Amino acid sequence: MNSEILTKLRACCRDEAAFEQLQQILSDKIQPLEQEIDRANFQVERQKALSNAIARLQETLDLETIFQATATEVRQLLAADRVGMFRFYADSGWNDGEFVSEDVAADLASAIAQKVHDHCFGEQFAVHYQRGRVQAVADIYNAGLSDCHIQILAQFQVRANLVVPLLQGHNLWGLLCIHQCRAPRQWQESEIEFVHQIADRLGVALQHAELLAELRAEIVERQQAEQRAQELNQELQQAIVELKAVNKELEAFSYSVSHDLRAPLRSIDGFSQALLEDCLDQLDNTGQDYLHRIRSATQRMGQLIDDLLTLSRVTRSEMSRESVALSRLASRICTDLQMAHPDRQVEFAVQPGLVVQGDPRLLEVLLDNLLNNAWKFTSRQLQAKIEFGAIAQENGIPAFFVRDDGVGFDMVYVDKLFRPFQRLHAMNEFFGNGIGLATVQRIVHRHGGRVWAEGALTRGATFYFTLFAEEVEA
Amino acid sequence: MNGNGDRKVILLVEDNPDDEALAIRALKRHHIGNDIVVAHDGVEALDYLFGTGAYAGRDVNSKPTVVLLDLKLPRVDGLEVLRRLREDERTKLMPVVVLTTSSEERDLLDSYSLGCNSYIRKPVDFLQFSEAIRQLGMYWLLMNEPPPL
Repeated sequence: MNSEILTKLRACCRDEAAFEQLQQILSDKIQPLEQEIDRANFQVERQKALSNAIARLQETLDLETIFQATATEVRQLLAADRVGMFRFYADSGWNDGEFVSEDVAADLASAIAQKVHDHCFGEQFAVHYQRGRVQAVADIYNAGLSDCHIQILAQFQVRANLVVPLLQGHNLWGLLCIHQCRAPRQWQESEIEFVHQIADRLGVALQHAELLAELRAEIVERQQAEQRAQELNQELQQAIVELKAVNKELEAFSYSVSHDLRAPLRSIDGFSQALLEDCLDQLDNTGQDYLHRIRSATQRMGQLIDDLLTLSRVTRSEMSRESVALSRLASRICTDLQMAHPDRQVEFAVQPGLVVQGDPRLLEVLLDNLLNNAWKFTSRQLQAKIEFGAIAQENGIPAFFVRDDGVGFDMVYVDKLFRPFQRLHAMNEFFGNGIGLATVQRIVHRHGGRVWAEGALTRGATFYFTLFAEEVEA
Repeated sequence: MNGNGDRKVILLVEDNPDDEALAIRALKRHHIGNDIVVAHDGVEALDYLFGTGAYAGRDVNSKPTVVLLDLKLPRVDGLEVLRRLREDERTKLMPVVVLTTSSEERDLLDSYSLGCNSYIRKPVDFLQFSEAIRQLGMYWLLMNEPPPL
């Protein structure tokens, strides 16, 4: 009690005995009040520490900073020897870990970076801590702890400890450990509650950190994706430039093929014919036969060059998309064929009214090739039938077809049909160079469709094609 | 009247001697007995038509009935010859038939854009070639009415 107050009291109370009595009464009243004030002070400090902890959560997302500041504050407030944050290694089943942050009395050893292995913790205790269990031990040698546990604690000179789980959401991330090393310590209810609250705040920080890490990973991932996209784009641009150059070269090449490669053929053919006309009497049958062979080879070569040019034009030319009356086109080609060979008996069956979106010139080349093939491969028959039409496929996209009842082909070789220069018949059977169907396939592909064939030897052939990209089943 | 009396002349602009020989042979076999003047490149063709260079002093009023013009020529190519003909008052109406090996779309477009009167692709097959020449001669020399002066 304050001596100033006592002096005043003595002045007003001259009776010593009465004074003694009064002093006793007052002292009984005042002491609990003073204790109350102490407790209130602690409360205030605690609140301060808590609000500091919360403020730190808003200030920084850096776990190390938060842990360090909190450890220092808590140790000061509790007058403990060591406050440490212990982290379990991921996937260790809570049996292994280390202290990642601490505040420790100057004369005690640091627990940082000392690996801890406790094979019974994961099995026996982790589940309880996960549910929020707090362990408060006043004296480790007097609390019925297992030997291995005592050993581990003794390693850090621990005498009394207070352990609260650090939870990241529902996951037991680590432990907040308060150590008393020099003497046993009875932990107060208010202290335990305070440490618990601090651990809750740290849990929030851990969750923030996890979110931040996820966010950062996502940002990095996005940046990488963006960079990949940019690289791809650049590669694409480069490829386009190269393609354009190649296309130009191809164009120049086919231009000069068109001009220069055919000219000598005309000379060979022309002068062979001149020989046959002007020097006929000097040539025996063999000589004439040779000249005829030269002429027919020359013309095959000419046709080959023309067909190759068509194939290359089909690949290079700009595509347009407009309505093309396929039935009308097919009928016209059939009429032309019949007019060119009036001696043949061929029945044409063209399904009327078929119209598609496509490139008119390419589609004409396509139908011309297919119908000419049908015409050619029925040429050995007295009577023949050639059909053009469409069937509905299951996916709703129509498949067009050209069908003949000619010599057909063996399905064994169906894969070879559309390759350039592949022929299934000898040259003296049916004339051709194997470029027609390759051209057909290229035209169909440029329209985003597909082409296939069905047939059997001596039983005719059917060529199907679509002109739009079809849904591919996964 | 085309200013050279009854004599009709064909100007064949052709650098390939084989094609030249074959074309002349075809024309002669079909008794299209006209004078054939051959120019072996674009410069020679222009000199003949405008009376310059080797043809300095030639009477340019004597005009060919038709020009058979190859496109791929040394020095000045066929398209350039065609352009110069169409730019000049004296020759802008002169019938010009492009007679060439290629049927590249580009060549067709350019030739017609510059005002050729016809475009014939030389076939490899000599009999077809010969027939084409015959029809050409018949058409341009006998059937077609040339433009008035």
